[in-house]
Parts: sequence; C-alpha cells; structure tokens
Amino acid sequence: MLSKFRASGLTRRTFLKSTAATAAAAGLPGAALAAGDPIKIGFLAPLTGAVAAWGKPGLDGCEIWAERVNAAGGIDLGGTKHMVEFVSYDNEYDPAKARTGATKLIREDGVSFIMMLGGDTWPGVQPVADKTGMLFSTLLPSDLSPDTTTLIAPAEVHPIYNVTGVEWLAENKPELKTAVMCAQDDALGLPSVATYLAAFEAAGIEMQGDPLLFDPATTDFAPVVTRLLSSNPDIVCLDTCYSDYVHPIAEQLFQQGFEGQIISCTADFYDQMIDKTSKEFMEGFVFQFPDFDDPALNGDNINFDDPNGFYAEYNERHPGQWGAVSWEYASIMDLWKAAAEKAGSADPDAVIAAMQEDGTGKHAFGDANWWGKELFGIDNALVGDWPVVVIEDGKATIKGFRNIPAWYDKHGDLLIKHMQAYDQMWDQRG
Amino acid sequence: MLELLAQTGLNAVYAASYISLVAVGLVLIFGVMGVVNFAHGELFMAGAYAIVALYADMHLPFFMAVAVGLIFVGLLGLLMERALFRPLRDNPLGGLVASIGFLMILQALATMGFGVRMEHIPPVTQEVLIFSDKVRLPVSRLYVIIAAVVLLSALWFFLKRTRFGWALRASAQDPEAAELQGISIARTAQIAMFIGAALAGVAGALTAPLISVNPHMGHSVIVTAFIVIIVGGVGSLEGAVLASVAYAFVHTFVTTFFDGVIADITGLSLMLLVLIVKPTGLFGSADRA
Repeated sequence: MLSKFRASGLTRRTFLKSTAATAAAAGLPGAALAAGDPIKIGFLAPLTGAVAAWGKPGLDGCEIWAERVNAAGGIDLGGTKHMVEFVSYDNEYDPAKARTGATKLIREDGVSFIMMLGGDTWPGVQPVADKTGMLFSTLLPSDLSPDTTTLIAPAEVHPIYNVTGVEWLAENKPELKTAVMCAQDDALGLPSVATYLAAFEAAGIEMQGDPLLFDPATTDFAPVVTRLLSSNPDIVCLDTCYSDYVHPIAEQLFQQGFEGQIISCTADFYDQMIDKTSKEFMEGFVFQFPDFDDPALNGDNINFDDPNGFYAEYNERHPGQWGAVSWEYASIMDLWKAAAEKAGSADPDAVIAAMQEDGTGKHAFGDANWWGKELFGIDNALVGDWPVVVIEDGKATIKGFRNIPAWYDKHGDLLIKHMQAYDQMWDQRG
Repeated sequence: MLELLAQTGLNAVYAASYISLVAVGLVLIFGVMGVVNFAHGELFMAGAYAIVALYADMHLPFFMAVAVGLIFVGLLGLLMERALFRPLRDNPLGGLVASIGFLMILQALATMGFGVRMEHIPPVTQEVLIFSDKVRLPVSRLYVIIAAVVLLSALWFFLKRTRFGWALRASAQDPEAAELQGISIARTAQIAMFIGAALAGVAGALTAPLISVNPHMGHSVIVTAFIVIIVGGVGSLEGAVLASVAYAFVHTFVTTFFDGVIADITGLSLMLLVLIVKPTGLFGSADRA
C-alpha cells in the first residue's frame, strides 16, 4: 500500500496531512458549503479510449441533468439552495490515472461525491476511497466488497441483470436449445461470462463449449466468429463486449452466414449495426438497454423524470450518441440528490445513511432494494426490475421488466457456482 | 472439420495481408533510416481516418478515398522525415522519442477532429464469395488480400529492378558507402519514409470498414508489427512478409481452436523462441540487430 503511494509521488504522511488539512479547512464536503456555494460532483470515467462509450455519453447526460436541476432552483440542503456542477476527469480506463483523478477531485476540486464506471479502474481508486471516506458510485457492482463501505452501485447491477434477457428468451423462444459465447478477458467480461453461464443453465440452454475469451486489443474478429459458428449454435451470446467489439462481431456473424439468435448485454448505436448488416439480420436481437423514448418508460413504476424529454434533449445535443450509459449517471444523481436533501447535507456518511435508511431506494426502473450481501459481501447494490429490450423493425423495444432478485431467489446457487469458477466472488478478487 | 480449417485459413490469409503491409513499411523505414518509428500504428490510424473523412463523410468512391488516403499518409511520412528524423539522423534514440511524441500528436488530432468514439463507416460491399455453407470470404476482405499482393509485389519489383530501389537497398546496407557512390541519403530516406508510411496508410484505409476506427486503434497494430519484425529479422523485408504470414496463421488458428488470449501468449512465445534460438530473427543480419 505504502509503495503505491510512493510510486505516485504521494507519501502516506503528505496524503494524510493534506486530507486532514482539507477536512479541517473545509470540514466534510457538505458541512462546509456556504449559502450560494455550488455542489461539485466528480465524474471520474473514461472520456477517451476504447471504453469512452461508457463514460462520455454519461457525462453528456449529467450536464442535461444539472441544467434541469439548476433551472428548478438547485439542490436544497437544510433550506439552502445550491447549484450543482460536474467536474470531470478522464481516467482513460487506467487504474493509475483513476487514482490520480480521484485524489485531484477530492483535494483540489472539493467534490462531494464521485461517480465512476468502475471495473479495471476501481482497484486504483479504492485506497483513496478508504483513506478519505469519500462516497463513490460504480456502474459495476462486481467492484463492491465489504472493505469499502462508501462504494455504492445504485444504477445497474451489472452483470446480474443479464439473466433477465436469457430468461425472456427461454420463455419466448423455447426452440432455442444451444448457445456459444465470447467475451473480452477483463473485469467487465468475466463476471458477465459467469452470469450468462448461470442464466443459460437455469434456462436449460446447453453451452456448446467453453466461452471464447479474447484479448481486449483484438481488432479482427473473423477467427472468433468462425470458432463460435463451428458448432452450429442456436444462440450467439456477445456477453458484455464493448461496442467496439459488438459491431465487428455482429458484422462477422452476418458475413459468415449466421441466421440464429443473438443476445448481448448492450447494443449501443444499433442503427449502425443495421447499416453494416441488414434490418432482417438484426431483427430479434436481445439486449438490456432501452432507448428512453420507449413508451414503456412512461409508466408509474419508472423513477426517472421525463425520460422521453431527456432522450429528445440528449439527441438534439448529441445526435446519434445515445448509448447504454447516457441516462445511468444522471439516474444516480437523482438518488444522490434525494438522499442529500433528505439528510440536509452533502457529507458522504450522511448521504449514504439517508440513501439506505430503510433498505429500499427508487431505482430508475422501479422501486428496489439495497442488496448484494451474498454476491458482493455488502448490501450496496440497488436491485429491482430491469428491462428486456429487443430490436423490432429496426428499433429497440422494451418487451417487459423482469425482477432480478426473483431470479436470484430461484437460481442464486448457480450464479455463485459460476462466479466462483471464474474467481469473481468478492472474496476471490485480488 | 475441413470447412473449419478452410475458413480459418481464409481468415489467416486476410490477417497476414494487412499485417504484412504494416510490418514491411516499418521494416523499410528502419532499414533505410535506422529509426524505430513508434508512430507507425498511428499512420495506420491516419489511413483509416482518411476513409472516415473522404468515404463516410464526403461520400467519395471508396477506392478513390483509399488512393487519396495513401498519398496523404505518405506525405505525413515525408513530414515526419523532414521535421523529426532528419534533424535527429545521428541520434536513433532521439528519433524513437520523437516518433512517440508524434504518435501522441496524431492521436490528439484525431480526437479533436473526430471525437473519441469509434467511427461508423458504411460497408463498401456486402458481397460474399461463398465456397460452401461454412466457407465464405467477404469481398471487402478480398480487396485487402489483393491490395497486399499487388503492393508488396510492386515494392519487390521497385527494390530489385529499379535504380531508386538499388539506391534504397545500398543506403540500407551501408549508408556511408552509398553516399560515396553519389547516392543522396536524404533522398532515399524520403522515398523510404513515403513508401513505408503509405503502406501503413493503405492498410488502415482498406481495413477501416472492417474494424473499429478510433484514435487509439494504432496501438494493437504496432504491437503486432513489432512482434513480426523481431521474428522476421529487424531490417529484412522478406522476413517481415514471411513472419507476418507465420504469425497470422499461428494466431488465427490458435484463436479458433483454443482462444484469443492463448493466441496472444503463443504469438509472444514464438517471438521469444526466435530471440533465443536466433537473436537476429529468421532473416535478420547481425549488423542491423
């Protein structure tokens, strides 16, 4: 631990001193806010590089969220209104840069809360979180562990929600009996592999061979697809591949003559995939992230303010850029704002206590519970319903919402078995 | 099984084609100028972005866009030679560091010009040559294979059968002796840089519709190219081509029959094995190694 600090040019003594100085000078973030001071929120995610598609669109969504909140008067902390502003730091999906970014956001910018994509970058940030007590969020609950109580996963319970797509597929297309899978070999791909394996086993769908893992630096996916198709599967599962992989893999599936079912965690920019293949080829593609103009998001169960208007505004500002994470960081801010207003403070401890007060929370896709003790060692993931999305006539369409804890109650043992096999349980991860 | 082997073989031929275009360019630059051009992957990226700009955005015919991209990246190479490598001719380490700096500049320019997201490039053609139900070759991949054969054959002819080619080879073998014979080292360096960069650019341009185009796409290409030229022998064009074919076949077959991670390990192991058994590479000479 000490060596890590020294390697970064930051000694333990100077770190503690500066942290103490920050705390002394500013108190805890929320307590120090004077009337009129803006609340600063850190956005620590990849804004460039191969994983930027799961960072930058989220920041764009947050800017819209901030404008909406500020136009409505800001965030009310104990009767005092504060505007909100985001301070971003591009971690390029690099753990060392993420650690530098976290330290900078806390020490220099004085943020009250930091949102991350997580994954490979979280191990770099964890020591900073442990030392400072700052509240962090991740999109990937596989980052959670009892070691860090101030890390929450309130937007998506990746990759557990992937079970809902497989469950829907098994119910609606029972003729599909066999599957193959490929994934990049990293912190996003592997827990998702374990989850899909559990979901297929629970659904009675036979895996034809082990999942094919590839290096994240792969550019030519023809050999991967040739191998996948060699066993004539009914289903090809693309796991949680980045969009930079999903697109060329889908194109290869098309060119190598696959006519079966495709299931994937995401299908960002699916219109481009249709352009590269055909509308007929993409018909029935199952994934997990809806467009927010979907009428199904106008129901009373949805806890996201004006999803259709948000989607329209987003597309007007960033045409063609809507992706899986465009709404997620904004939905985390909805939760944070509600908790901070309830606590009357931006102090991390007060916010997280208010957020988890009765063990429930208002997730974007419906009321949910703080959950995860068995899988993550801590109940810091907000879990409830998740949509199953299918491409129909060239457009993403929500086919229904399914309850993740209900699936887990029936098949949790399978999920734990496969997570353990891939060393993905919280007590197995280094 | 026969169909699987045939399809994997076709995949390997395609991979060998674009890898050899990149690797031969890198070897040519090193052979003539003695510079390890770390920005070579970014020249590949520049070729791909030429297709984004000219074909996807401006709707020029694809092959016209490829031709313009080839010239554009070749000119980028000339710029590098004049601005970076010539002033540092006697300082190979300086040239290497300068190329790393140029790599970052090209990445930053691509990010500023096109953004960080992968670019969408419409398919050039959706035609597929169907040999059997399980053996297919998309025509867009065939273009890459044909281009590699034609361009590398033309390069071989240029180097072996023309006066400029002889001058280039003479400069690579012994720059001082070549200069004493009246060969302009600066001119041969320019020619080598233009051809080397253009080969990387045309590889990037032709493969752009088939892969993910983003500002960081050069990274994996340069790593593969370095493995190939180390295996083939630093400075050897024939070695680069043969090592490209060997690497592509090994990597593709291992990916198909095992997985991609094992294929990467196998590729690196192949390089280590060659370094242990023949440190100069399969076709390298002790002078250049």
